[in-house]
Amino acid sequence: MPHKCTKCGREFRDGSVEILRGCPSCGGKKFLYVSDRVKNEDVLEGKSIEKIAEETKQEVLEVKHQGPATRPTDILERVESVRIVSKGKYELNLERLAESPDIIIGMGDDGKYMLDLPSMSKRKANPKKK
Amino acid sequence: MVAFPRIRNFFGKLFGKKRSRVGIYGPPNAGKTTLANRIVRDVTGEAVGPVSEIPHETRRARRKEGVEINSGSTKLLIDIVDTPGVTTKIDYHEFMEYGMEQDEAIARAREATEGVAEAMHWLREDIDGVIYVLDSTQDPFMHVNIMMVGIIEARKLPVIIVANKIDLPDAAPQRIKSAFPQHPVVEISGLEGHNMDELYAKISEVFR
Repeated sequence: MPHKCTKCGREFRDGSVEILRGCPSCGGKKFLYVSDRVKNEDVLEGKSIEKIAEETKQEVLEVKHQGPATRPTDILERVESVRIVSKGKYELNLERLAESPDIIIGMGDDGKYMLDLPSMSKRKANPKKK
Repeated sequence: MVAFPRIRNFFGKLFGKKRSRVGIYGPPNAGKTTLANRIVRDVTGEAVGPVSEIPHETRRARRKEGVEINSGSTKLLIDIVDTPGVTTKIDYHEFMEYGMEQDEAIARAREATEGVAEAMHWLREDIDGVIYVLDSTQDPFMHVNIMMVGIIEARKLPVIIVANKIDLPDAAPQRIKSAFPQHPVVEISGLEGHNMDELYAKISEVFR
């Protein structure tokens, strides 16, 4: 028996892991477990997914945000120049360090930041110097 | 854009302004300081800094000014900047594996972090060209290398990639050549001084 996205009606085969990250078409987080018998009723008979859910008395499955998978682990998305993970452990955002004079220090792993204001208020070096 | 540094250099020479500043970048333990020492020693008989097998021996950028590179009939005056090994993660535990005490290792990690941040800032404003040094026995496709070459390209800096440590038996400089076909690659041994003439010729050609 397949799942259907309650928002856009996209169908996913049983056991599909795709839906754990939300519907790839519309980003919907709610899915209904539908039997093969009724799976096309939304299209053929114009029923809403809610109505099918009502009729089949199936519970709508809601996918929660995954903890680590949806966190911005990509260093490119990070705002900090340097992250102090713990004492003596650092992560450096080389792209940011190369492109901006601003220093933002990330502290630990829970969204704490320190901003070095003097580095942000400094004017760019006199371009004539180069 | 290729012509721009040449024009600037031409006017620089005409009015006696600054020389090209060449930064030696690369991951830790690629042999950057050994290479910087080799170049400076070949020219002036001096050294830039100490080398060590423990990563991040160079934790502050070191500069040697007015190094004259002679290649055939051409002469080029450059400033050599030896920089700390570039990496995205620094963990003091790594230094403790070399027998360092915890406090010393933590201090080294902090200095290394500051050094990498400083080297990246240099890249933004103070460097006119890059020698990117890689250890030929290591995988050139490491994330940090791809990222750094990308950053150097984005800043439109001329670059020479050096496949170092070719004196080692498991050196595979060909891998580096196929990893970065868009840039000149010179195979050398900074330690033994192999193939340095080819590197000097390339420096004269690319950074003039």
